[in-house]
Amino acid sequence: MPTYKLSYFEGQGLGEVSRQLLHLSETPFEDDRISQEDWPKRKDSMPFAKLPVLFVDGKPLPQSLAIARYLANQFGFAGKTPFESAWVDALGDQFKDYFSEMVPYFMALGGDNEEEKSRLQLEVAEPAINKFFSILEKRAKDNGSNGHFVGDSLTWIDIHISDHMGVGEKYFPNAYAAFPTVLALREGTVSLPKLKEWIEKRPVTPY
Amino acid sequence: STFLFKTSPFPLLFFSNFHSKVSFFVEFLTICIKLRGYCRRIMPEYKLHYFGIRGLGEVPRQIFALAEVKFENVAVTREDWPEFKKKTPFGQMPVLEVDGKFIPQSFAIARFIASQHGLAGKTPFEAAWVDALADQWKDFQNDFKKFWYLKLGFGEGDVDAAKVEHGIPARDKFFPLVVKQLKKNGSGFLVGDAVTWVDVLVANAVADLEEKEAGFLAEYPEVVAHQKKVHAIPALKKWLETRPY
Repeated sequence: MPTYKLSYFEGQGLGEVSRQLLHLSETPFEDDRISQEDWPKRKDSMPFAKLPVLFVDGKPLPQSLAIARYLANQFGFAGKTPFESAWVDALGDQFKDYFSEMVPYFMALGGDNEEEKSRLQLEVAEPAINKFFSILEKRAKDNGSNGHFVGDSLTWIDIHISDHMGVGEKYFPNAYAAFPTVLALREGTVSLPKLKEWIEKRPVTPY
Repeated sequence: STFLFKTSPFPLLFFSNFHSKVSFFVEFLTICIKLRGYCRRIMPEYKLHYFGIRGLGEVPRQIFALAEVKFENVAVTREDWPEFKKKTPFGQMPVLEVDGKFIPQSFAIARFIASQHGLAGKTPFEAAWVDALADQWKDFQNDFKKFWYLKLGFGEGDVDAAKVEHGIPARDKFFPLVVKQLKKNGSGFLVGDAVTWVDVLVANAVADLEEKEAGFLAEYPEVVAHQKKVHAIPALKKWLETRPY
């Protein structure tokens, strides 16, 4: 078995999906959490000067979705057919588009300006969440409301979205109230025994 | 030939009564249905739906061309788009229709075709690096488009200011990574020793840049050389010479 090290910030964000894939598959790995203070020193050792990076036998792989897809393919969480995998990928890319729309709001959340946070929640976060989660709600229903976005078994997109919602709700309570099928999917995912166990003992972080 | 004659259903057709002729047709129809299912599995029907422009449809089209896989290029008009939009999974294009079912998102489409035709790297780790470079290009594009879209005439703003504030910094953050990867990889392609869909993605973007903003990549000769190498591949060269837009 290869040795794995996942380098990311002290947070869930874009790295947690990969941590969870490793925990779910009971694969030992080094959970390399880099503080804001240490990041400038570590930056140059990362291929694209960004995190997360997965090291497989010491060889780096950057970009959160590429890492998640790679691990998911290794452990069987990437869909059962090429068509299903393409759908998992498509939802991952749609998440990336939504995430880039949310950036101004996330940046404000990291600061002290409460007025700016409220304004951006209204002008940026709400529309972006409504747009993306309407797609997710429809997708979950079209897939049979079976607790998964694609096919009939767990994929990395179930894990990624579920985790993201947990972070979102810390800052925007009831952000996803209008999306009951997605909420049910999230509940099912985070209750999986190996995930539940990890979630209960993982470090509590701002995001 | 006597073996074939004796074991095939054809004797039934000629040397039998009506009842047996019906049996023949039923058997013939069953064979046709099975053959159709088999053909669908080995040669699915692909339709790529996008506007009649290059845009986000061009890279999927080029992957089909490079893989030498037939597809129907469906150009959706501005008039037809509002109706068709309702049928798409995300209200967006391109969508790939595979035997009547949709796949959205251009990268998912590209990877779906590429990975089934040897254009996504030779190992899972190579495939992951192809994905990583493609996503890095997407991050570049998200910044770069703040200049590029203005330049192409979309939206309001000072194009020259946007070039300085967004275009040049985005370029100078992304293309050094491409050069580093080309040098490290050493094959002339970005990942592994053969062309992959991220070579097609980057070469397409580079050709577009060179076409509309000549000299913009003057400080990145390796990147321009890569684009020329990729676009010289016969199947892709033929597409570029005959493409509709």
